[in-house]
Amino acid sequence: MPIWEAVRFAFASLRAAKLRSFLTVLGILIGVASVIAVVAITQGLDEYVSGQVLQLGSKSFTISKLPAVITSRQMWEEMQKRRDITVADLDVVRSVCEACSEVGGSSGTGRTAKWRDIKQEDVSVLGVTENYSRIGSIRELSAGRHLIPDDVDHARPLAVIGSDLVDAFFKELDPLGKTILVGGRPLTVVGVAAKKGSVFGNSQDNFVWVPLTTFRKLFGTQRSVTISVEARSMALFETAQEQCRVALRSRRHLGFSRPDDFSVETGESILDLWTTFTRNIYIVTFVVTAISLIVGGIVVMNIMLVSVTERIREIGVRKALGARRSDIRWQFLVEAMVLSGLGGLLGVVGAAVFSWILGTVLGHIMSADFSAPVRLWAVALAVLVSASVGLVSGIYPAARAAALDPVVALRNE
Amino acid sequence: MATTLTPTAAEDSAHIRTTDLWRTYQMGAEQIHALRGVTFTIQANEYVAIMGPSGSGKSTLMNLIGCLDSPTQGSYVLRGKTVSEMNDDELAAIRNREIGFVFQTFNLLPRASALHNVELPMVYAGIPRIERLERARHALEMVDLADRANHKPNELSGGQRQRVAVARALVMGPSILLADEPTGNLDTATGEDIMRLFGKLHESGNTIILVTHEADIALHAHRTIRLRDGHIESDERRS
Repeated sequence: MPIWEAVRFAFASLRAAKLRSFLTVLGILIGVASVIAVVAITQGLDEYVSGQVLQLGSKSFTISKLPAVITSRQMWEEMQKRRDITVADLDVVRSVCEACSEVGGSSGTGRTAKWRDIKQEDVSVLGVTENYSRIGSIRELSAGRHLIPDDVDHARPLAVIGSDLVDAFFKELDPLGKTILVGGRPLTVVGVAAKKGSVFGNSQDNFVWVPLTTFRKLFGTQRSVTISVEARSMALFETAQEQCRVALRSRRHLGFSRPDDFSVETGESILDLWTTFTRNIYIVTFVVTAISLIVGGIVVMNIMLVSVTERIREIGVRKALGARRSDIRWQFLVEAMVLSGLGGLLGVVGAAVFSWILGTVLGHIMSADFSAPVRLWAVALAVLVSASVGLVSGIYPAARAAALDPVVALRNE
Repeated sequence: MATTLTPTAAEDSAHIRTTDLWRTYQMGAEQIHALRGVTFTIQANEYVAIMGPSGSGKSTLMNLIGCLDSPTQGSYVLRGKTVSEMNDDELAAIRNREIGFVFQTFNLLPRASALHNVELPMVYAGIPRIERLERARHALEMVDLADRANHKPNELSGGQRQRVAVARALVMGPSILLADEPTGNLDTATGEDIMRLFGKLHESGNTIILVTHEADIALHAHRTIRLRDGHIESDERRS
């Protein structure tokens, strides 16, 4: 019997018991839906994160007191013991690193900014060197000018502000030349940075840049500086990191066997962390899915056994009309495969709906353009895997059906 | 002329020839002999009734003739082919092409339309769908059910269901129409209708074997083989 005849039989008998067929494949449906949704969402996040991290710039890195990710309280306490990075450290790095095209520094704190009687809370106040905006992803201005070396040298009370502050304070007014209060200190706006949006719900535009020297004068010197470095070229990226490390280590008189007491972070190292994180999500997802597919397969097998028992008479009739064992076996196998394959397909639909909803919600929360597309390969895999589950679950019931003696089967009530 | 010799299968002119058929069932430690050496021949276009009380072995004999079962001992030759030596798949092919079954309980697939029920044997014969549908429609026309082709069995009367079953039995052009109590589930008038249909089929050249325990149904046949305790008790022809 050709396969399409078996498929026709399968659809006919599944149509005859729609609700039961649906309930039977519910387990497979949920398993497939959850794996596709998780893969879609993780991949969506993946793209989003890579996109964001790549904004760090591919040949830039930072050197900071604390690592970007701290995984335990113990580690946190350990890291707190590290020495602060000082302006002097920054100067040493700048003078030593030949592979670096730009070496800048920044130091930050959170303050409330005020203009007239309008307040903006939790503004990220960053003391920066004049080259800061040229390192990593270049920050364009939408108005005014960048800070210049002269501003830094003379610790002028000037500021380049993010667009959130413009929105909060000035609306249609020209922000340039206005004096705002940051942490109670007056600063004159000379530039406005172009809007960047938000990452994971954190606005990238709620900041004030001031010259690093000004920052230290106004907000204190007991703050570690983060060194930002741009390598001369991609080829010198590793060399630049190495030169900076050596410079800092020797300045700090670190012994040969002692670990770095500072952290070098590249876009890549952050991506690595993310990759490890998503890999764990995938592993958990696949384990959970495997379990749900096994359970789903058992349910399909059980229902197929029930179905064979219910249809003993039908099997007898088919045999009397000339069906061979292989025809009967094929019929039930294909039925199990179609049943669970359809479950997989419904799962794909469920996943598409689910990841669309979640993608929209996440996108909304992060106020960013975020999508969790269902991949074609995931769909193909889901249908293939669920049909295989059906195949495996169908083998035994189909063998039982095929082995029935026609005389006995026809006598069955 | 040595006419008493049993001819070899290939040169047998008889439609059906059974020789010393035994069928023994194992029931626990006990052996039950449902058939104890049954020998007969049936020629093409005969109309034979097989009768006997329950337990006489007539169902067993029907199963053997219908190739649903194989004899424990003895030989069964159908149109020159030694069926008793065939394997499962060969038997399935014989059932498909040579035997048309009509059952007491109709045995239609309940969820399939009349047309699909009639189509079914041709699926197993590997006939393409377009030809199948055409032949199935034609077979339904022969039993006057062309207008019921798309009805499910539960939308048909008992007599109509049995006519669908007859159409299904005939659609492959079998050499034997094997009917097991075909009127058993029908009222007398409808039963008579079915028997008239069988009479017509016989006149048009079909070989019909009727298994029944009702004497007035058996009267439609031209020959009656009576079984008792696994033996042939009598074999009478009427003209």
